[in-house]
Amino acid sequence: MNLYLNQIAAIVWKDFVTELKTRELLSAMFIFALLVILIFIFSINLSIVKASEVGPGILWVAFLFAGTIGLNRSFMLEKENDCLMGLMLVPADRTAIYFGKLISNLIFLSIMELFILPLFMIFFDIDLLSHLGPLLVVVFLGTLGFCVLGTLLSSLSSNLKTREIMLPILLYPLLIPIIIAAVRMTGQILDGTELSDMMKWVGLTASFDIIYIGVSIMTIDHILEE
Amino acid sequence: MESLENAIEVRHLRKAFGTLKAVDGIDFELKQGEFLTVFGPNGAGKTTLIKILSGLTQPSSGTAKVAGFDVTEGQPEMRKKIGVISHSTALYADLTPLENLMFFARMHGLEHPEDKSLKVIEEVGLSPRRNNRVRTFSRGMLQRLSIARAILHDPAILFLDEPFTGLDLHATNVLKEHLQRLHDRRRTILMTTHDISCGLEMCDKVALQVQGKFAFLKNISDVDKDRFESTYFDAVRDNQFSTGIGI
Repeated sequence: MNLYLNQIAAIVWKDFVTELKTRELLSAMFIFALLVILIFIFSINLSIVKASEVGPGILWVAFLFAGTIGLNRSFMLEKENDCLMGLMLVPADRTAIYFGKLISNLIFLSIMELFILPLFMIFFDIDLLSHLGPLLVVVFLGTLGFCVLGTLLSSLSSNLKTREIMLPILLYPLLIPIIIAAVRMTGQILDGTELSDMMKWVGLTASFDIIYIGVSIMTIDHILEE
Repeated sequence: MESLENAIEVRHLRKAFGTLKAVDGIDFELKQGEFLTVFGPNGAGKTTLIKILSGLTQPSSGTAKVAGFDVTEGQPEMRKKIGVISHSTALYADLTPLENLMFFARMHGLEHPEDKSLKVIEEVGLSPRRNNRVRTFSRGMLQRLSIARAILHDPAILFLDEPFTGLDLHATNVLKEHLQRLHDRRRTILMTTHDISCGLEMCDKVALQVQGKFAFLKNISDVDKDRFESTYFDAVRDNQFSTGIGI
């Protein structure tokens, strides 16, 4: 068990050291998410529509699109110089490789989201600070589901020539339940609803997160096989 | 290092990609400390053979045991006993040699990963560049670092897929010295190469793989090195797979 956790930690450490040196992943995700929000800001009239009604959808579209860039880049790193082959040759359980990549993706996406949320608050003139706790729970649940499934499918699509196209095509339909729940919950939180009043959505998102983790554990061995 | 009487045992091994037979009924065994060089033209199935033996690809049929483990079972215990050098370096370009090796040392569960990594870096002569990004390395340096990655955990069996490709004379000599040292330390080595002189110089056994089959497999003492090149070309041209090749 100790070795298993050490292997997961080693993958996270390796991804962090690489990102610290290149600063490619976080900057690309952040700029993309910011651009998405800016485009929407200029295309909707906030004096007509309520920010708390359109804002959550826009926020999650930004997270989703920027996160997809991150997922693509994450496994591209392993394909360069065939590093994935090097990983397959170490005496590690394939799930350790999966969880290492999942945790890296989750941390990188969460960092990007923490930078985007204040900008979203400013651009949409929404007070997020008074709902920060529940909002962070919802953002975490949605991001976890996105990363769980995204990491699995990016490892699958990394072997394809058309991986940049295939990843969103495979990922977005399966993410629909999580994204619907995340958008609904975000909207309700911005309207002042307590988290305890939306346990149905929380349960749905958490259930999908758990189901997708189970599916990933069961299939990653076959997906990483050549 | 524990004793592995038959380090590698291959029986009727086949691998097909659709109608293409990349490995077509190969049989051989290597004892601990033996060095087998496999020659063969491009597309002969040498890389596929190494991929199967290292557990990266599943065979279509037949059996292969490496360090006593069935390669199809993909056991981590088997991966502890093998090191692989392939066409690609499997090194992270934005990390330094030290960071790369420390990462692989941790993945192998080695104690004192930094000390072990520094020792192997010194062994392959890369100490002065240990803190430079791998991206800035020449082909020869990358190959040396690949060796360091492959021997970091002191494996009993090494698979080398065309390790001399793209190396200059100096780098070739450095690599040969490393391989000789590993051979002296009774590591079992299976190497594929197009470099006939290098391949014949170091090995105990020679095989020629053509269209997925071993055209022959002989002890080096039974091979006429001066005639090998012409025989190699004849074998490739005529696809003479049986015993009729006059070596």
